[in-house]
Amino acid sequence: MDGHQRDLYLYERLNARVLGVSMDDVITNKYFAQTFWLEFPIISNTLSWMGKSYGAYSDKPPFAPDGSPIMFGRLTVVIDKKGIVRYVKTGSPNNQEILQFLLKLEKEFRGK
Amino acid sequence: MERKFIPGLSMGFVVALWLMTGLILGGCATMGPAKPKDVVPTDRGTVIFLEKYEFKRPPAGWAMLKNLEGGDFEFGFLKMEKGDFPSQTTFIFDDQPFGSSRDLDTRAKQYCTRFLFNTGMYPEIKKQEKAEVMGLPALALYVEGENPNRVEKAKSKIYLVKKGDRIISFVCTQWRPLKGTYDQDGFDRFEELVKSFKFLKKTFYENFEEELKKMGI
Repeated sequence: MDGHQRDLYLYERLNARVLGVSMDDVITNKYFAQTFWLEFPIISNTLSWMGKSYGAYSDKPPFAPDGSPIMFGRLTVVIDKKGIVRYVKTGSPNNQEILQFLLKLEKEFRGK
Repeated sequence: MERKFIPGLSMGFVVALWLMTGLILGGCATMGPAKPKDVVPTDRGTVIFLEKYEFKRPPAGWAMLKNLEGGDFEFGFLKMEKGDFPSQTTFIFDDQPFGSSRDLDTRAKQYCTRFLFNTGMYPEIKKQEKAEVMGLPALALYVEGENPNRVEKAKSKIYLVKKGDRIISFVCTQWRPLKGTYDQDGFDRFEELVKSFKFLKKTFYENFEEELKKMGI
């Protein structure tokens, strides 16, 4: 999240907006955002439908090494102006890769 | 007769094996260009790291900490020192220090709420002053903290440097048992490294910024 906040000024120049999604409750997210000085919104999705829709949730194999379901993992999703999912990556976000991808989308958009 | 024949065969077999080994090893040697070394010494008494940075390396006894696959810092140095655990000094160069503000003073506040957080030392800024590093505006922070439960303490000198739109950091931390004494030599070596530090290439963010400007963004 720190990385996204650091790059927020570049995302804005590329007409991209950042939205965090968490299964935590609103108050927990509020304190989390304050702790990290986050200026973008974080959605509290305690019923987890967003995570399930975008593939961040898994209660099926492969499970974690201890045999437990992986449930929610970190997932970065880039959705374009038409609402089409253009980039999906699990694990810690690679901010430089995301910026380059957003630049590619902006070039695509300008080319049209 | 048979006895004379068998050693001849063995000798031929050994020669063939030697030739094959030579051919295999020769093939390995021509598989591609040799990977450049991570650290290359210069005739200026400095070293070049990953063709990106040049700096004066601390003398023998300081182990280099390399982070070649991304992570919390770019590189650093570590020296284990005399005395009880945790007597050691570390240098770290981090191009993405804690926090997100692009203002030095605000970033310093953000940084110090996270710095050494896992040690339970609650480090305190003893002194903060304006500085210059590589000709760029910087803040020098003098930070100290202790954890009586773990009988440990630490003293740090931190430079937060404004480079373009980003903030980078150089950090020296000296770890000691609670009754130990700090050693100035480690901090002096750190200052030498910071004074000699140069970027040899534009950073990703500088190149990205240029590309955005070219596109009028």
